[in-house]
Amino acid sequence: MAMAVFRREGRRLLPSIAARPIAAIRSPLSSDQEEGLLGVRSISTQVVRNRMKSVKNIQKITKAMKMVAASKLRAVQGRAENSRGLWQPFTALLGDNPSIDVKKSVVVTLSSDKGLCGGINSTVVKVSRALYKLNSGPEKEVQFVIVGEKAKAIMFRDSKNDIVLSVTELNKNPLNYAQVSVLADDILKNVEFDALRIVYNKFHSVVAFLPTVSTVLSPEIIEKESEIGGKLGELDSYEIEGGETKGEILQNLAEFQFSCVMFNAVLENACSEMGARMSAMDSSSRNAGEMLDRLTLTYNRTRQASITTELIEIISGASALEAAK
Amino acid sequence: MASNAAVPFWRAAGMTYITYSNICANLVRNCLKEPFKAESINREKVHFSLSKWSDGKPQKPVLRSDTPQV
Repeated sequence: MAMAVFRREGRRLLPSIAARPIAAIRSPLSSDQEEGLLGVRSISTQVVRNRMKSVKNIQKITKAMKMVAASKLRAVQGRAENSRGLWQPFTALLGDNPSIDVKKSVVVTLSSDKGLCGGINSTVVKVSRALYKLNSGPEKEVQFVIVGEKAKAIMFRDSKNDIVLSVTELNKNPLNYAQVSVLADDILKNVEFDALRIVYNKFHSVVAFLPTVSTVLSPEIIEKESEIGGKLGELDSYEIEGGETKGEILQNLAEFQFSCVMFNAVLENACSEMGARMSAMDSSSRNAGEMLDRLTLTYNRTRQASITTELIEIISGASALEAAK
Repeated sequence: MASNAAVPFWRAAGMTYITYSNICANLVRNCLKEPFKAESINREKVHFSLSKWSDGKPQKPVLRSDTPQV
């Protein structure tokens, strides 16, 4: 009966450690390897102990990464919320027209350089691809400007012919307006556009980030739209000081708007990246903890099974001697 | 303060408004007194690497940085 119990134990042990390569189990080096009397192999305690050690290390690392992400998040969050005030006057003045129909749109995709941050980069890429489909058609074209390594890798696979610029290493120094404005300037100089659509993850809370699109129009389109009417049509009711014409002011405003919107977008994306990394590392630590519990149970069972086998051998040896006497 | 010429001088020189405002900001930063000046210059460092793409292939990346790597 003890044999039957042991056989059942053996069978239960094997599936739970199925991932471990079989070569390690059959290695002659592991000294506490045992074989049940009916040929059922049990896992050695050494193997389980090694696995437990590595899982514990991983848990410590992911916990540390979560702490680091939390502290970075706290730092960037304040700046992101303050930077929202930069583009709000522009939206009040010029309105937000995501559904505007233009010939050349450029989609600026913001993503992170480092990984292990959950699904935020893939959502941003999905939205960019959807924008591409929405905006392509006869006489219309869409081009991509990609910021960040991760989006570059994903978009390289199928949209590489539409990429115009790619930017990396933006997060090397702490984010500041000077950096983003130089980047915005480079984009303006290298790309012709009628409308710029910036795709990024807006930070709502530590667990909620929504992919958002901000649209910035070029000054010519704004002039055209203002003739048509609507919100932009009221631009004429503003008085212009100085010797500049409306066209020039619109050009300055459009460039500055792009720079401010980019600054806010980059900060919000950084916040979302930290938040996503926090929650990804948190769930990894939790999973590692659960795995550790399961491995501990397995380890104890193996240990007890080996003790039982020894006892059985001793007792059966002793009873054989008794019987022989 | 805006010039009365038809086009402001910096626009005629090919700068965008962003470049213009960055130059003005740099001038203001240089007017600060010592400890604050070093801090603010430290704060506004620029570093990123830009590469243009043509025909689906990236060209050599251009590093725009205040601290060019050796």
